[in-house]
Amino acid sequence: MILYDYVLSASCYKVRLMAALLGQSLTLHTVNFHPAREHKSADMLALNPKGTLPVLLDGETVLTDSADILRYLTRDAPEWRGDDDPWLALAADLNESLGMARLHDILQYDVDIDAARAAGVKQLRKLEAHMTAQRFDGHLFLTGAVPALADIACFPNVSLAPDGGVSLDTYPSLRLWMRAIRSLPGFIEMPGIHRLHELEFPE
Amino acid sequence: MSRSINDYWYPVGLLSGIDAPHATLLLGADITVGRTHSAYWVTDAAGKALPTIKRFGHLWTCPGTPMDDLFTIPEADTAGRQLVDVGSVRVKCSPLRAVENFLDIAHFPFVHTDILGAEPHTEVARYNVDIREDANEVWATKVKFFQPQAAKSAEGGITTEYMYRVASPTCAVLYKTCPPRPGEWDVITLFVQPLNEEWCEVWPWMALYDDDSTMAEMVSFQQLIFMQDRSILENQIPTKLPLDPGMEVPTQADLTSIAYRRWLKKIGYTYGAQLVAA
Amino acid sequence: MDWVAVGLCEDVPARTVVPRRVQNTDLAIWCSTAGVFHAWGDRCPHRGMRLSHGFVRGETLSCIYHGWTYDGDGACVSIPAHPDLTPPKSICAAQYACRVQDGTIWVALQPTQAAVPELGARRAIRSLAVQLSAETLATRLKQPFGPVITLGGAHDIALAVQPSTDTDCLLHAFAAPDQDRKAVSLALEHLRDELEAAA
Ligand SMILES: N[C@@H](CCC(=O)N[C@@H](CS)C(=O)NCC(=O)O)C(=O)O
Ligand code: FES
Ligand SMILES: [Fe+2]
Repeated sequence: MILYDYVLSASCYKVRLMAALLGQSLTLHTVNFHPAREHKSADMLALNPKGTLPVLLDGETVLTDSADILRYLTRDAPEWRGDDDPWLALAADLNESLGMARLHDILQYDVDIDAARAAGVKQLRKLEAHMTAQRFDGHLFLTGAVPALADIACFPNVSLAPDGGVSLDTYPSLRLWMRAIRSLPGFIEMPGIHRLHELEFPE
Repeated sequence: MSRSINDYWYPVGLLSGIDAPHATLLLGADITVGRTHSAYWVTDAAGKALPTIKRFGHLWTCPGTPMDDLFTIPEADTAGRQLVDVGSVRVKCSPLRAVENFLDIAHFPFVHTDILGAEPHTEVARYNVDIREDANEVWATKVKFFQPQAAKSAEGGITTEYMYRVASPTCAVLYKTCPPRPGEWDVITLFVQPLNEEWCEVWPWMALYDDDSTMAEMVSFQQLIFMQDRSILENQIPTKLPLDPGMEVPTQADLTSIAYRRWLKKIGYTYGAQLVAA
Repeated sequence: MDWVAVGLCEDVPARTVVPRRVQNTDLAIWCSTAGVFHAWGDRCPHRGMRLSHGFVRGETLSCIYHGWTYDGDGACVSIPAHPDLTPPKSICAAQYACRVQDGTIWVALQPTQAAVPELGARRAIRSLAVQLSAETLATRLKQPFGPVITLGGAHDIALAVQPSTDTDCLLHAFAAPDQDRKAVSLALEHLRDELEAAA
């Protein structure tokens, strides 16, 4: 499997993280998204007319949306699947709010920044309420006691919210949820989401 | 000796990226950067043209009276190097904090874990630092650090040697030993455009000997490293760089930072600095 | 204010650190491996990095930037760049008084003889942020301004108010022990919506 990848993309990271947790190997094809805008080059547009990343290539299969790619990677891993569609829709909304706020603050994307952040805060509050209820039932993850595709789809843009000027200080349940994901065997980091250094010295 | 902050050269864009007029900030003032055919230009808020220089793949400007030429990096001109336009990243921090972080190696094991450093190899051996009066630059030499994966070609860990050079208050250059070419130095720079005292646009640029990596891979590597630093830089208190001793606690590993702060004070460059302990 | 609630113990389990703000003072609240809570200024003495981004190992908190490590008394015990150096005693993180009572972490920014406020026979429900100053919050609730606001009602809710900034506070909510936590949590969401909307 070849992943056309950009190291700072939350959507590409979803795919890298999912594959890592599943123990699947990806061949990364690094795209110069910034500053060269290679995702809009003729070659990349031929592969994905939308001109976005990530793009996954597996033999004849070409997938151009991170939600489709996550479904594809987990097609033989039912333990990661559930009622995924609402969560994947939420993940797409998070990419439009927190994700765009981040691209605005880092790479100067033309975004209504106040609206993007306000929408992000609304979604974070909803997620926090949900995760709080999950914890009342003794669950660490969005859909139960074990991690699922839903968690991996939502985790990147939530964790990277501070990159776009949205604080995560006052979401205790989301913080514990993010920590639970960062503790998973096989977890990989990306810039802005570092590993748990405390785990290097388990007690 | 002391000159105005307006009299230095600052990076304002990548030559390969300047096209339609682009409004930005320099030292808190509005400027516009653009290109008409092959002529690059910068204007201030009143529409007055500012002086420009094209160098290191970037366009540079000076909002005051440039007192001398922009510094040069002779090593970067040697043949066979890949010149890497890394692009820019905006950071909510003092431009001086961004430069100081670039001069620091002690954070490698914790911030760039398993790439530029790793526990337990955290020791920073003594190195040399001097303020070169002739060139008006700060230099750190014989800086050595253990790196788990210093380069793609490196098998296992090696000790890498660095030299650091502060060539202007918001621009630093590092020279790093280059495994495929013993005796040569890779050149990695950090050019900082101060948007205001607490907000900057950072333009890393590199001149590397690397025949294995694609341009996209070299860009990606540097963006990865710098974005790991960004989450540190946006969370230092205070946002501005304290120049007076007392507020922070340097050790021997921080000799470059000490010299940088001392030099800024000496030349009177206090934009982005905090002078009195709050 | 004497004692201010800054969080529920269950939200800061062993080996975690969280950022909190009390009247514009930034704090790092952390819980050691043995379960001891600490409230420190959120600033590493070395280069000013927020300690709340750091990591807990054993009974120490380490800074994420250069790994300087502080023991339970706030004293720096390790500087990784100089492994053989014993750090001078003068290098110390700022510490605040910190108590645990009713499953809640309480902090006093100034030395105080006052007792930690009582929450009655209630149990902790959750913390939630409100975009209102503590004063405005009390006014809108038609309650006297103070560290604990008792709302009563069907759930017998009490709110420990953490004034974060001039525009924000964090509420730590408690309710009668027989109440369903999910139901109370939902009621709190609605209450927040009403309070923030009531301009
Ligand atoms: N629906 C896409 C969205 C991914 C996305 O936003 N990708 C960004 C990079 S982070 C992109 O390619 N943007 C380029 C553009 O929109 O032109 C997915 O999740 O796969
Ligand atoms: S700033 Fe905390 S260890 Fe350097
Ligand atoms: Fe760094």
